[in-house]
Formats: sequence, C-alpha cells, structure tokens
Amino acid sequence: MLPSFQFISAALAADASTPGSVWMPPGASTFAANVDLMFYWINYICYFFFAVVTGAMVYFVVKYRVHKGQAFRSDAPLHHLALESSWGVVPLLIVIVIFYVGFRDYMHISTPPKNAYIIKVTAQKWAWSFQYPTGATSDDLYVPVGRPVQLTMRSNDVLHSLFIPDFRVKKDVVPGRYTYLWFQSDEVTQSGQGRHLFCTEYCGTGHSNMNRKVHVLAEPEFDAWLTEQGQWLDKIPEEELFFRAGPKIYARCQQCHSLDGTKGIGPSWKGIWERTHGGEGSDGKFADGSSYSSVIGAGKKFATPEDYLRNSILVPGSELVFGFGNAMPTFKGQLNDKAIDAVIGMMQHLNEFDPKTGKYLKEAPAAPKVSMK
Amino acid sequence: MTTIHAPRPTALEVQTDNYLTHSRGFLSWALTLDHKRIGVMYMVGVLASFFVGGMFALLVRTELLTPGQTIPGVTADVYNQFFTLHGAIMVFLVIIPSIPAALGNFVLPIMLGAKDVAFPRLNLGSFYLWVFGACFTLVSLAMGGFDTGWTFYTPYSTTSPAGGVIPVLFGVFVLGFSSIFTGMNFIVTVHKLRPPGMTWFRMPLFLWAIYATAIIQVLATPVLAITLMLLVIERTINIGIFDPSMGGDPVLFQHFFWFYSHPAVYIMILPAMGIISDLISVHAHRHIFGYKFIALSSIAIAIFSFLVWGHHMFISGQSPLLNTLFSLISFSVAIPSAVKVFNWLTTLYKGNISLTTPMLYALSFLVLFTIGGLTGIHLATLNTDVHLHDTYFVVAHFHYVMMGSALIGMIGGLHHWWPKMTGKMYSEALGSTACVIIFIGFNVTFFTQFYLGSKGMPRRYYDYQPEFQVYHVISTLGSYFMASGFFLTAYCLISSLIGGRKAPANPWGGGSLEWQCDSPPPHDNFATQPSVGDCYDFRSLRWDEATQGYVIDPVLAAEAAKHPLH
Repeated sequence: MLPSFQFISAALAADASTPGSVWMPPGASTFAANVDLMFYWINYICYFFFAVVTGAMVYFVVKYRVHKGQAFRSDAPLHHLALESSWGVVPLLIVIVIFYVGFRDYMHISTPPKNAYIIKVTAQKWAWSFQYPTGATSDDLYVPVGRPVQLTMRSNDVLHSLFIPDFRVKKDVVPGRYTYLWFQSDEVTQSGQGRHLFCTEYCGTGHSNMNRKVHVLAEPEFDAWLTEQGQWLDKIPEEELFFRAGPKIYARCQQCHSLDGTKGIGPSWKGIWERTHGGEGSDGKFADGSSYSSVIGAGKKFATPEDYLRNSILVPGSELVFGFGNAMPTFKGQLNDKAIDAVIGMMQHLNEFDPKTGKYLKEAPAAPKVSMK
Repeated sequence: MTTIHAPRPTALEVQTDNYLTHSRGFLSWALTLDHKRIGVMYMVGVLASFFVGGMFALLVRTELLTPGQTIPGVTADVYNQFFTLHGAIMVFLVIIPSIPAALGNFVLPIMLGAKDVAFPRLNLGSFYLWVFGACFTLVSLAMGGFDTGWTFYTPYSTTSPAGGVIPVLFGVFVLGFSSIFTGMNFIVTVHKLRPPGMTWFRMPLFLWAIYATAIIQVLATPVLAITLMLLVIERTINIGIFDPSMGGDPVLFQHFFWFYSHPAVYIMILPAMGIISDLISVHAHRHIFGYKFIALSSIAIAIFSFLVWGHHMFISGQSPLLNTLFSLISFSVAIPSAVKVFNWLTTLYKGNISLTTPMLYALSFLVLFTIGGLTGIHLATLNTDVHLHDTYFVVAHFHYVMMGSALIGMIGGLHHWWPKMTGKMYSEALGSTACVIIFIGFNVTFFTQFYLGSKGMPRRYYDYQPEFQVYHVISTLGSYFMASGFFLTAYCLISSLIGGRKAPANPWGGGSLEWQCDSPPPHDNFATQPSVGDCYDFRSLRWDEATQGYVIDPVLAAEAAKHPLH
C-alpha cells in the first residue's frame, strides 16, 4: 500500500538529522525526518484549503456585495447533491491517507527495538532522575550516539511527561505504572550544550523549571562518563564529603527546602542541626503534636538525631513538621548511605554554605575532577 | 407555499407593552418564568464571567512577557491559579452556557412561534443552578483557590495543597445540572412546541444546532458530574479511585473526564455553527445552500463527538491500538465540518451580501474556524501529535476553535439579536471597527502560538527558555489589542441602550419567526399563532426607508408565491 510514500520515507530516513526549519526545531533523532515531512505535508494541505476558503470568501463578498435598497437577485442554487457529497468524500480520502501514513510512523515510534539501551527514569516534583544499567544516576540525561535508547519511566507522585523537542518524542510518566519511550540520535551534542528536555504535563509549582538537558556522547566518551559517574561519590574521602557531595545533592532538595529560613514547600534547613540536637527550636511541633525533643534521644523513637534525619529522607511521611503537608517523595534507592552522610554533614556545617545558593563558602582543597552531571 | 403572512403591527402603531416593560421590580425579574428575561439574565451573567475570565487571560499573557517573574508578586503558584481560573471560568461559566442558555433561551421559543419553552420553571431553576455554581467558584477563591488546571487531572488534583479544590468541584457539578436541565428543556421544546407547518426540515438551522447540542448535554454531562463526585470522595475520605498510592488509576480519570469534555467541545461549537448558518444566510439575503446537509452534519458531529475522546490521550500511556482507533475516528469529524464550511461558502455565491457587524463576525468565524479545523489534522495524526501534544500548538488550536469560533459566533449572534433583545440599534461603525480589531488581535495572539508550539514550547509554563521570548511578547501585544476590541464592543452595545435608535421589527431582513414580532418582543411573543414558510426564502422582503427595516412587500410576495423554491 502507498509505495510512493514508503519510497519517500526510506529516502529520508537515511538523512537522520535535520537543521531547524521554519516551523520545527532541529531534528536530532531518527524519527525527526518523517515527523517533519508529515508535518509539512499537512501544512501544505492546510495552506491549500485555507487559500480556497478565504479566497472564495473574499471574492464572493466583493462580487456579490449590495447596498441598502438595492434589488435582490434570487437566481442562486439551493443545493447540489453531487457537489455537497464531494465536500464529504474528498476530505475523507485525504484524511484516510494522512491517517495511514501517520499511523505507520507512529507504530515505529511506539515500538522500542529489542536491543535498545535501557535507562530507568524516575520523575518526581520537580526533578528527573536517570538511572543507568551500571547503577549510576544523573540529573541530566546522557545517551550513547547511534544506538536505540529506551527510557523506562515511572513517577513517584503525580503525572509528568518527558518531552525532547529535537527528538520529536514525548510520553507521559504515570504514577503506579511504567511507560516506555525510545529514540535513537545519530548526532553527538557539543560538550556542555545538550538538547532541551521538558516536563509537559502540568505538575504544580516547579513544572516549568523541571527541564534538563540531553547529552548525546560518542560511545567511548559515554562509557568513560558512565564509569566516572558510577564512582564519583566513592572517590570523595569521608572528611570532604559534606562540602564536595553535599551541595550537589542539595541541588535536588532546594526546590522545597531553603537554607536561609524562607518557608518553602518543606521546612527550611536553617537551624535543623540545633533543633534536632536539643538546642533552639527543639520544642518545635510535629503534625501529631509531638516535638523534636520528644522523639529524638536514647530510648525514644529515634536514638540519635542522625537517625531522625535519615528517616526523614527515606520515609518522609512518618514525621510531618507542623504546618507542612505530606509532599516529599521518598529518596529510597536514589541516595545511598554515603550520599545521606553527605546531606547530614552539610546540615551540620550549614553556616559554611551560602544561604541563597548552597555554595560552599570556605576555600576547598584542590579536588579530584568529579562531576555529578 | 413560502409566503409569510403573520399579523403584525404597522409602522405607525407603536407597541408599548414589551417583555422588558411588562412588569416592574426586582422580583418580576428574579422570579420570572419568561424565557426572554431568563435569557437576558443568563447573558448578563455570562458576559460578566467573560470579563473576569478575560482579565485572568490578560494577567497570564502579561506574566509571560518575560521568562521568570514579570508581575511583582505573581509567583509560579499564583500564575498556576491564574491559568486555571481563566480556563475553568471560560469553559464552565462562559462558553458552555453562552449560546444555548443565553441566546438560545431568548430566541428558541420565538423561532418556534411559541409563548415559552416547554418547562418555564425548570428553565428558571437552571438559571439559579448556574448562579449557585458561579458562587461556589467564588467560595473556592475565598478558601485558597485552586491550581489544578481546568482539567483536574489526578493525582495532582487529589493531592494539591490548594484549599479551594472541593468547592470548585461542587461548583462544576452544580453547573453540570444547569446544563442538563437546559438541554432537556430544549429537546422537549423542539419536539413538542413546533408550530403547525414547521416540519423538522423547515426549522431554522440554529434550532437544529441547539437540538444536537441539547442531546450531547443530556447524555455526556452526567458522566462529568459523577467523575467530579468520585474526585471529591477521593479527596475527602481517601477512597482510592484515581490515585495510585491508594490503589487507583490516574488514566481512568482522563478517560472519564474526556468522555464528557470532548463532547463538551461540541456543546460549545455546535450552537455557534447554528448561529453562523443563520447569520450568513440572513445577511447575504440568500437562501442557505444545502440546508439538509448542514442540518444532518450537526447530528453527525453530535454522534462522532462521543467516539473520539481518546485523542486527548495519545501520549498518556494508552495502548497504541486504542490510539490508532481514536486517531482514525477523530478524522471522521473532518467530514461534517468540511460540509458545513463549504456550504456556508457557497451560500455567499450569488448572494446579496450586506457587510453588517453580524456578517463581519460570521466571516471572521469562517476564517478562524477553517484555521482551527485544519490544524486539528496535525493533532489527529499520530506521529505529529507525539511532538505537538501538550505544547502551545494545542493551546493555539483550541483557542481558534473555542474562542475564534465558539465565542466569535456568540458575539456575532449577540449583535444579530441585540436589536430584538433590547429594541435598540447600535452603531454599525463602532461595531464593525471592534470586530476588525478583535479579528486582527486574535490572530496576532494565537497564530504566534502555533509557531511557539511546533518549536517545542510546552503549555502551562510560568518560566520558559529565552529563545521563546520574542514570540511571547508578540502574542501578549496581540492580546492587548484584542482586549481593546472587546472594550470597544462593550462601549458600542452599552451606549446603544442609552442613545441608540429604536430598532425596527426586522432590521436585517431575516425570515425566521423572531423577526415577525416586535423589537423587543411583547410578553407573549405572538398575539396569534404565526404561520410558517421557508425561513430562508427572503424574496418577499424589501428594504423600507421609513422604518429603517425590512418589510414584506405584497407584490414581491405574490411573485415569490408563483415561483416556489425547491
């Protein structure tokens, strides 16, 4: 069926990436050429019918305009079965062709190949977490060039949707079920200049800032990045953990937790060390009426303040600070013990960090080159 | 066969008793059973809501002038409430009731030559349900507003911290009943109160459209009502229906919601299509072309409307098989839409076109609906929709259909029947200038958004990438220009109430029954049952300089009777 179009799409599939065009952003996946071709053909059909409708309208209005008092003509036709039927039949034939071509391409887009490189995606308000087969995780998406990549996605809270305009792909990320999305990009991105990755399903306060970058790397660079990514935390010595790893992990917390006392979606970290250690604010209440000092301490629910803080990261709903809702997702499986140590260490040394940006203020000793992203 | 010979007062006989002066006092309006007064009260409510919804639209557009915060104090949370309120007010309080409940209430019984709708008390009840629904929205604002988007997608809507979610859900629930009762009332009225001689295929096309709309209202709205109830139950007593953390399914909500809300799109557009059919024919002084195809296409659209809801969910995780079926069926809507557009176009052919304000709105509709309809093809096609879904392309598309078509049709109808409703003529110069301003402003605002969307700008964004800014600025400036057109329209209509010339019975040369009774109509509409001919046969009408309106010329009428149209 429709051999001519198969020929066109086969010819274009060879040329996988396209520069940005009048209506479309740059096309950087193997899908882009066909989607753009379809888009432009529909556009041409639209231009044609728009010209016919408005052209005829303007022509008739100019030609048949009358002024008040002028005698009316009455020689106009009232109906015409063949003509009116053609207005149903011709569009029907056109849209059946459009449907078929769009459907064929869509089946390709929605069927991930068996040999795809699988990356797990976890979405939550308002961050993405990408987990690679080696166990490494990242906030930006890194993919190997020239290889089909499948994203297996789930959400920790509400609906999100992962959209990469340059790849022409999009799929909702749904709590309670897994969704797949796949693509293949044959074009390496410039270092530090990834392609846009947006959230396109409304998810609240941080919806429009839930955007990241996609970096397409050549296979050797990708492997090297992956190895380094898996070990970045391990390479940091314990005593440097809080100021090297802390701020990087805090970047995922700062949407909700300020450092300067500003009330956010969650309580500010300011003074958290004091109030959990029996100092100022330790009489602060939880939603169930208990206070910090009544749950933390030997023989109480949490033997040490560190136990309480760790529990708040892994089971956030168990103790709700008064005045705040159960809004925080769990970080179980996303932050390992060393990462949690880094966060607790940062809380302990909070006065050494910039209260606005979370940057470490003291002079850090020369660091081994590591990067979270 | 086609003559119109209802008894009607001569020009000199001044009718003093009309529906506006029939009785006086607040209660004579608050407790009225007169469909005309109820229609006017609806119109006031709808236009007031339109003003409020429009202000939120301008706030949204202004905030989008720059990435990040533009208006001091408008944070992401406030912005989310703005676009939610804009959507909810425009859909539930403005567009859905605007044509059927406001204009339809006023015109439908008169078009049938009837004294009132079939159930006048139910009609008043519908109006008060609308008022209660609107009040719930205000209560919701007082309780902290809501930021769920007008679509109330779960589980965001069941977990949103905003305090006003439950009141607004109740409000929309109540508004749904208002809509259902109006629909029932109109179905019965059209079936039982048609005058002798008005067969189904002699009804004005506006009535066909209102009838098709009423069927959708009655069949689809209960699904929305029960869905919102389930949402309230989930939010208040934590029974897991839609929230997966309690064992529910969020995609189920989308199925339920769009099973109503897609037909609701046709609840909004079908009546406007009916208005346009009448406007084009009357102001072109030319028999409508292809009456039966236009009438039956309304019914076809009503039927198709129930079968295409899944095209809102192509990327929701729904199975590719379902997506394929919904894509295929969605294209079927193109056929009745194309039939209508081309029949309207042919109605201009060999017509006698007067470029009045209502006609300008009808022509605007034709252009804007064509754009809105054609861009639906991009979205019904599966592979292009994957890219365009949830971007500004969709925002532009549905504004072309909902605002450029449904609301423009409503405003056109308002100008068409304004002399009948108020007994006053407005300034044609002001009215047509405002229409041109709105048309230009609309296109600048929304055509730009097609471009933003296909370039990848997601919808419902408070902050955006700097490369999109120039297009947001153009769109916002367009919206200001369009708003000035609406303010000019308001001035034009309101000033006509004070200084407008008295309207003749038939200022445009219409053939349906409402142009046979006085402007404004008397309390009982017609003294005697009028007789019915072909309401699109305008051959017996002649412009009369003395009354500044159209009158039946006996000579032309006799001539027309000799050559029946067929």
